[in-house]
Amino acid sequence: MTEPRQIVFVIDDDPAIREALDSLLRSVGLDVRCFGSVKEFIAAPRPDIPSCLVLDVRLPGKSGMDFHKEIAQSEAALPVIMMTGHGDIPMSVQAMKTGAIDFLAKPFREQDLLDAIEAALEKDRLIRKQTAELTILRDRLATLNEGERNVVARVVKGLLNKQIAGELGVSEITVKVRRAQAMRKMQANSLAELIRMAAQLGL
Amino acid sequence: MSPRLRLPGLGNSTLLTVSLVLLAAVIFLADTVTNLEIAVAVFYVAIVLISVRYLDRSRVVMVASGCMALTLLSFFLTRAGSMSAGVVNCAISLAAIGVTAYLALRTAAAEATAREARTQLAHITRVTVLGELTASIAHELNQPLAAIVINGNAALRWLAGQPANLDEAGKAAERIVRDANRASALIARLRASTKRTSAKSIWSDVNQMVEDTLTLVQSETSRNHVSLRTELAGDLPQVEVDAVQIQQVILNLIVNALEAVSGSDAQARDVIVVTGLGRSNEVVVTVSDSGRGLNGVQMDQIFDAFYTTKPDGLGMGLAISRSIVESHGGRIWAEPGVPGGATFAFSLPAGNKGNVMLSSTRKPNR
Repeated sequence: MTEPRQIVFVIDDDPAIREALDSLLRSVGLDVRCFGSVKEFIAAPRPDIPSCLVLDVRLPGKSGMDFHKEIAQSEAALPVIMMTGHGDIPMSVQAMKTGAIDFLAKPFREQDLLDAIEAALEKDRLIRKQTAELTILRDRLATLNEGERNVVARVVKGLLNKQIAGELGVSEITVKVRRAQAMRKMQANSLAELIRMAAQLGL
Repeated sequence: MSPRLRLPGLGNSTLLTVSLVLLAAVIFLADTVTNLEIAVAVFYVAIVLISVRYLDRSRVVMVASGCMALTLLSFFLTRAGSMSAGVVNCAISLAAIGVTAYLALRTAAAEATAREARTQLAHITRVTVLGELTASIAHELNQPLAAIVINGNAALRWLAGQPANLDEAGKAAERIVRDANRASALIARLRASTKRTSAKSIWSDVNQMVEDTLTLVQSETSRNHVSLRTELAGDLPQVEVDAVQIQQVILNLIVNALEAVSGSDAQARDVIVVTGLGRSNEVVVTVSDSGRGLNGVQMDQIFDAFYTTKPDGLGMGLAISRSIVESHGGRIWAEPGVPGGATFAFSLPAGNKGNVMLSSTRKPNR
């Protein structure tokens, strides 16, 4: 079996629902891991690939609602789709406010679930891409020395080389050299790209 | 088959008034003709105590005041005896009447509050239990139903694949069957728990059941000033039923009727319970009221669960009544009353003569 590209986690205490969801999701080519409780899910290893969680509200031990709040507040935010056998409006509003992709009342249309899963995986992919990019940019930024950093900070503010030289008390040539070095280290091909990177890094 | 007429509770309020006035007159006469040393006026407390049971607060105060006035009047009319003893006796009588009226009214008010609280508590408990029951049943049933739907969709998708995965589709179909059986077992279990599993069918007398039920609503009728009459056919064949359940039905219909007349502004607040023999030899119990009637009520829905015409009704009473009556092989129906109000009735298959004779040794002779 090849390593999955993406994965759907399911937490539901009802074994019949787990089996059914496992079969349905596999039938459309998705990789699935099912769990009977939040505890089991936390104990299991999670591969570092795009994933999402289909979470039942009523669970033994920690409820799905509480676990969803925890996930939403944690660093590695995993997109969540809530489902319940006795959904009501306040509950679904709460779930959406906490950031759920969708809130499905059982029995639901399978297409609704599949659409929600697709959206959730897409969202996770995007989050992962952004996180990965940010990590690379941070690593690049770490290679800049203090002089180069000072220059970059002023370049993105829109100051001219001459003005930067004046502010830092160095020659214009030095500013040009440091600027070129910074562009090379950050792998920025243009000033516009450098500014975008700075914005991503929150400089 | 001669109908017996009975007037329980407050139906005879004029009779009551007449006897109270008579009693007061006797006491007044005795008080006036005897000399001042004899305190006959103390017996007025009897009138006060009787009136507290049947009259409302302001009328009881009026009665007590009347008694006190009579006491004073006869004091002035009495000629014989020692004046000082007369004054003391008169004062004691007045104090006794006043204190009795005060204490009796306080007790009656406390009883009314307690009754009110009990009714409310019973209603709340019923609603809460039913609400929780429904929610948990809904959830229990929803799980297998959801699994069936998902498995069905999965099976379709496995079959639609290129090539179709028959093995997976078959497994999904097997799970559908299993989950459907699970849902149906759940329903069977539910039905068994609500069905009359512990019901004991015994030969019973419908008239006796009606009279037993009336004792339960006695305080309700006098509190709401409703005249509750019965016309019970003598000579009715017995029915083979679970008496407790049928009594529940009778109670439910009477309570509904009482609520209907209490809610109306009409002068006449009449509820009448009639028993008799139907055309095809079945025992029929009819409860008619002079209440607001069934105008605009969906007659074909009135026995459905959760259908209600009352603002705080549950819509379960008539549904439960129907299931009880039908499980006894009977029928329940509603029709507009004549001239107004509503009539609810149910029938029960009557036993044959042989059965009646067999069972007659078991039932207490009335």
